[in-house]
Amino acid sequence: MVREQSFGSRLFDILLLVVLIVIALVCIMPIWYTLAVSLSDKSAAAAGIVRLWPVGFNFNSYQTIMTDSKFFNSFGISLQRVLLGSVFNFIVTVLMAYPLSKSVKDFRLRNVFMWLLVFCMLFNGGLIPWYMVIKNYGLMDSIWSLVLAGGVQVFHVILVVNFFRNLPKELEEAALVDGAGPWYMLVRLFVPLAVPVLATITLFSIVYHWNEFFHGLVLMSSAEKYPLQTYIQQLVVVIDTTSMTEDEYKKLSELSNQTLNAAKIFIAMIPVLVIYPFLQRFFIHGITLGSVKE
Amino acid sequence: MRNRSFEKHYYLMLLPGLIWLVLFNIVPMSGIVMAFQDFNPGAGIWKSEWIGLENFEYMFVLSDSKTVLFNTIYIAVLKIIGNLIVPLVFALMLNELRLQIVKRWVQTIVYLPHFLSWVILSGILLDVFAFKGPINSVLGAFGVEPVLFFARADLFPYIIVGSDVWKEFGFNTIIYLAALTSINPALYEAAAIDGATRMKRLWHVTLPGITTTIVLLAVLSLGNVLNAGFDQIFNLYNPLVYSSGDIIDTWVYRAGLLNLQFSLATAMGLLKSVVSFILIVVSYMLASKFANYRIF
Amino acid sequence: MKATKNGLLLLLAVLLIALTACTSTNQPSNGGSTNEGLGAAAGNDEPTAAAETADPFGKYESPVTINVGQANDPTDNSLPQGDTPENNQYTRHIKEQLNIDTKIIWRTATGKDYDQKVNLSIASDDLPDLVIVNDAQLRQMVKAGQVEDLTETFEKYASPAIKGIIEKTEGRALDAVTFDGKMMALPNVTARGDAVHTMWIRKDWLDKLGLEVPKTVEDLEKVAKAFAQGDPDGNGQPDTIGIAGQQAGGKLYANFLASSNNTFGLDPIFSAFNAYPGFWLEGEDGKPVYGSIQPQVREALAKLRDMYASGAIDRELSIRKDAAEPVVSGKAGIFFGPFWMGYWPLPDAIKNDPKANWQSYALPLDKNGEFSPHMATPSTQFLAVRKGYEHPEAALKLMNLLVRDEAKFDVSVTLNHYPVRIVYAPVDEIEYSLNALKEVLAGTKTAADLDIPGYKLLADDASKVGKAKLEPFDNNDIQYWNTDDIGTWSRMYSIFVGGAPLLEPRNEVYSLVYSQTKTMESRWANLEKLETETFLKIIMGAAPIETFDKFVEDWKKQGGDKVTQEVEEEVKG
Repeated sequence: MVREQSFGSRLFDILLLVVLIVIALVCIMPIWYTLAVSLSDKSAAAAGIVRLWPVGFNFNSYQTIMTDSKFFNSFGISLQRVLLGSVFNFIVTVLMAYPLSKSVKDFRLRNVFMWLLVFCMLFNGGLIPWYMVIKNYGLMDSIWSLVLAGGVQVFHVILVVNFFRNLPKELEEAALVDGAGPWYMLVRLFVPLAVPVLATITLFSIVYHWNEFFHGLVLMSSAEKYPLQTYIQQLVVVIDTTSMTEDEYKKLSELSNQTLNAAKIFIAMIPVLVIYPFLQRFFIHGITLGSVKE
Repeated sequence: MRNRSFEKHYYLMLLPGLIWLVLFNIVPMSGIVMAFQDFNPGAGIWKSEWIGLENFEYMFVLSDSKTVLFNTIYIAVLKIIGNLIVPLVFALMLNELRLQIVKRWVQTIVYLPHFLSWVILSGILLDVFAFKGPINSVLGAFGVEPVLFFARADLFPYIIVGSDVWKEFGFNTIIYLAALTSINPALYEAAAIDGATRMKRLWHVTLPGITTTIVLLAVLSLGNVLNAGFDQIFNLYNPLVYSSGDIIDTWVYRAGLLNLQFSLATAMGLLKSVVSFILIVVSYMLASKFANYRIF
Repeated sequence: MKATKNGLLLLLAVLLIALTACTSTNQPSNGGSTNEGLGAAAGNDEPTAAAETADPFGKYESPVTINVGQANDPTDNSLPQGDTPENNQYTRHIKEQLNIDTKIIWRTATGKDYDQKVNLSIASDDLPDLVIVNDAQLRQMVKAGQVEDLTETFEKYASPAIKGIIEKTEGRALDAVTFDGKMMALPNVTARGDAVHTMWIRKDWLDKLGLEVPKTVEDLEKVAKAFAQGDPDGNGQPDTIGIAGQQAGGKLYANFLASSNNTFGLDPIFSAFNAYPGFWLEGEDGKPVYGSIQPQVREALAKLRDMYASGAIDRELSIRKDAAEPVVSGKAGIFFGPFWMGYWPLPDAIKNDPKANWQSYALPLDKNGEFSPHMATPSTQFLAVRKGYEHPEAALKLMNLLVRDEAKFDVSVTLNHYPVRIVYAPVDEIEYSLNALKEVLAGTKTAADLDIPGYKLLADDASKVGKAKLEPFDNNDIQYWNTDDIGTWSRMYSIFVGGAPLLEPRNEVYSLVYSQTKTMESRWANLEKLETETFLKIIMGAAPIETFDKFVEDWKKQGGDKVTQEVEEEVKG
C-alpha cells in the first residue's frame, strides 16, 4: 500500500478509526446484552432490569444446556448440514458459473440459461407445492432434504459469473494456446483466481445453512431431527396467551425463561463466529492476481 | 470457432445445476396456478375451482389497499437504497483503515447483528426506544421531551429502515470487500506516483474497480421492491402505526390467521415475482442499450 | 436460433415428465396409514356392520393403528428414562385397554409451529388420521371435504361422561363443530375460569397508600393514579405504573374469535360500561348487533382516554416489549387477567419482591353494581378425523378413556403425551376445586373423598394444599403462603386467589357466535384493522373521541352490515 504522511491524511485516519470503533460498539451491544441476560437470574431477566451487566450473575443456564441432549443433537445435525450443504452449493455453483461466464460466441445458449436462472431466482410456486414435491421425492425427514432444499443459490451463481467475466482475458488465451481444456481451465485457472468471491459464497452458504430454520420445521417430523436454529426458534416464542390451553399456560413460566433462551442463542452463534475470522482474511488482504500482477 | 468443441463440456457442467433447478424450483412452480384458483386442498391443485384474477382483485378492493401497497414499496425502496449505500461506504472506510488489527475486529463485530433474529432484536429495539430507554435519556440530556417512538406513525418507517440497515450492513459489506480485493494494487501505486490524493484515488481507482459489483447488486436488489420485511415489522408494529407500517405481508398474515388464505398468499407471491422480474428485465435492457453493458 | 428452440423444447419435455410423475404419485399417498387393511378385513369391530349397541370402551380384537400429529413442548423433559413419545404410560394404557397402537407421524412445539404444520398438512391434503385443529382450520377442512362426519359415531360411542360435559355447555360446544346439521369434529370443553377476566391488584400498595380496593371505574382511576404518582414502591422515583396494558401485538380486549385468556387486556373496564367490543350481542330489537359499534363502547373509550391522559394507564400501552415486565419487576400495581396468573407471571414477580401481595377481585362493577364479564366459547380446539379413516370411533374411544382414567396417571408426565388429547374439563372446575380444597384445609374432607371423575387434579391438589397454604386459612395475603415449592404454590395461588372472584355473583355476557361467517372470510381482517387502529388511537390521544362515530359509519359501509346480516341468519338457523 502507498503511505501518505500529510497532516490532513493523519487526521482523517484518526477520525476514521473513531467512527469505525463507535459503529462497532453499536453493533456489539445486542450481542453483549444477550450474553448479559444469559448470565443473569431468571426473574431479573423477566423483569427487564438487565441492562449491560448481568443481574444475579450465575451460570445456571449454561449448566442446563450442557445437560440438554436435544441441544447437542441438533447442534450435530446443523454441523452435518452445513458441511454437506456448503460443499454441494460450492460445486454446483462453480460448475454453473463457468459456462455462463462465457460469451454467446463461445456458448450459444448462454443467455437462455442465464435468463432461466434469473427467472428461477424470482419465481416460485409457494410453500405448498414445494412441500408436496419434496415429499414425493421421498426426502422427508432426511438430512438430504435440508441440504438440497436450499441447495443452489442463484444469486451466488450470478456473483461468481460476474467475477469470472472480469478476470483478465489474456490468462485464458494463454492457457488455450497451451492446449488447456475447459475442465482444466476451470479448476486450475479460474477457481484459484476467484478465491475472494468463492470464499464469499461459501461463507454465505455456511451462514444460510446454519441459520435457516423453516425447512427444518416443515421437513422434519420431530425435534430429534431438527437442526439447531429450528430447535432454538421453538424456544424463542412471543407469548400470546389468547390461543393457549390449560396445559400451555402451566408451561408458560418455563417457556418464558429468557436467560436460558439467551444462552442458547449465544452458543448457537459461536460456530459462525469461529469460521468468520478464518474466511475473513480473503476479504481483507487483496489476493494477488497471480501471473498478471507480478 | 475454435471453442465450439468446448460447448458440450459446458452443457455437462450446467447439468447438475439444471437438474436441481428443475427438481426443486421448476416442478414446484406448478403451484403458481393456485393464484388463479380458490384452492381447495381436498380437490388438489388440478381440480380446484378457477376464479381468474379474483385473488388479485381482492387486494385492490380493500379500503386501504393503497396505503398498504404504498407502505410496502416505500419501506422496501428505502431499505434497498440504504442496504446498497451504507455497506458500500462502510467497505470503503474499512478499506482506508490502516490498522489491520482494528480493521479485522471491526469487521467481525459489525457482522454480528445479522445473526440475531428479529424476534430477539425487536425486543431489544423496543427497549432501546422505550419511554425510559437509552435514546430518550440521551434526548433528555438535550432537553427534548421523551418520545413514544413506536406510537409515532410518522417515525415508524424510518425506525424500520434504519434498524434493518444497521442489522445487515456488516454482512452486506462482505461482497464489496471481496470485490475490492480484485482491484490491481499496481493501479494504486501508479496513481500515487502521479500524485493523486487519497480522495482522488478512491474516486478514480477504487470506485471504478467495483462499479460492476455495485451495479449488479443494485439491479438484483430490485427484486426486493415488494419485500419490506415481514419478520421485522410483524415483531415491531402495533395498531397505532398501521397507517405507515402495515405492509402486504403483515396484512395477508392477519387475513390468513382468520382464514387459511392459501390462494391469496400464492397470488401475492406471484405479484411480487412479476414486479421484480419486470424491473430487473427493464434495468438490464436499459443498461445494455444505453451503456452497452451486460449486467449478468 | 434453432438451437435455442430445441433447448427450450427439451426443457419443457423434462418439465412435463417431472410434473406428471409428481401428480401420479400424489394420489395413492393420500391413503396414508399402515395396517388399515387388516383392521377393516377383520370386520368384527366395524361400527356400521354391527347392529348391537356400540361399546364406548370396547377393545379392538385386532390392533388398530392411529397415525397422529402431536404437539409437545421443546422444553418438556417429563418422560421417564426409557419412555418415548410413542411409548409411555398413556400409550401403553391405550394399547392395553383399547388395543390401539399410537404412531406419531410428526411432532412440533405447541402453538404457532403446530398450527403451521397442520396448515401444511391441510393444504397438501396429507393429514394424520386424527388431528387437533383450531376453528379456522376446521372450517377450511370441512369446506375441502377432508373430515369425517362424526354425528352417528358420537351418538354411538361417546361415553356418558363426555356427553355430560358437552351438554353442560348449553349447546355452545356442539355449535362450534356443527356444519349443516352435521357434527364434523369433537369439541374440547375448557373450564369457565379461563374466560373471566378479573382485576389483579397489589394489596400491599393499597395498604401503603391507605387506599381501599376500588369498586367502580371512578375508584379505579383514582387508585391507578395514586399508584402511578404516590411512589408506592418507595424508591423515591416516579417510575410506577397504575394499570399495565397489553404488549406490542397484544389485544386491548378479547373478541369472539379469541374469547378467553386475554392477559393484560382492559376487558373489565369495558364491561364495567356494559361495553363488549369484539362480541356479538343481542340488540334492543332482539337482532344481533356488533359490540364494538355500540354507544357504550364510545363511553368506555372516552373514559379510557381520560385515564390514559391522566397517567392512570401505562403510557406504553401496546408498544411495550413484554406486558409482564412491569408486573414482574414490581413497577405495576394493577392488571387484568384470568385466574391462572399464579402460574405466570406471578412466580417471577414474587421472586423479585416476596412482599408483592397480588390479589384478585371480580371488579370493577358496572352502573348497576354488578360484575358483568364477557364469557368465552368453551371450545377452542377440535379433534378431527381424516375423511376415509376406517376407525372414526377410535377418536371417541381415546377421549372416553382419557376422561375416565385421567386421574389415575402419574401427574408428573405431561398430558400432552396422551395422543391427540383435547381438554375435557367440567365448566366449574376451578370453583369446585376451590370449595373442595377449603374443606380439605378445614379438615372436613380428605384427598380420598375427592377422587371425582372429571376433576382430574383434585385428589393430588388435596394432598398438596397443606404444603403451600399457611394459617390463617381464611387470609390469602402473600405472607401466609409457602413459596418453597413454586409449582405447588402456582396452582394453589391460582385456585385460591385467582379462583376467589369466580365464586362472586356475576352477570355473564356471551357472544351470539364464536366463529366466522362467509363474508368475514374476505372482510374481517380489514374491519378488525379499522377497529383496533381507531380504538387505540382514541385511547392514546392520537385521535379525538369523535373518530368513533366515523368508525361506526365506515365499519357498516365496509362490509359490517353484511356481516351482521349473516350473523343474524346464523343465529336464527
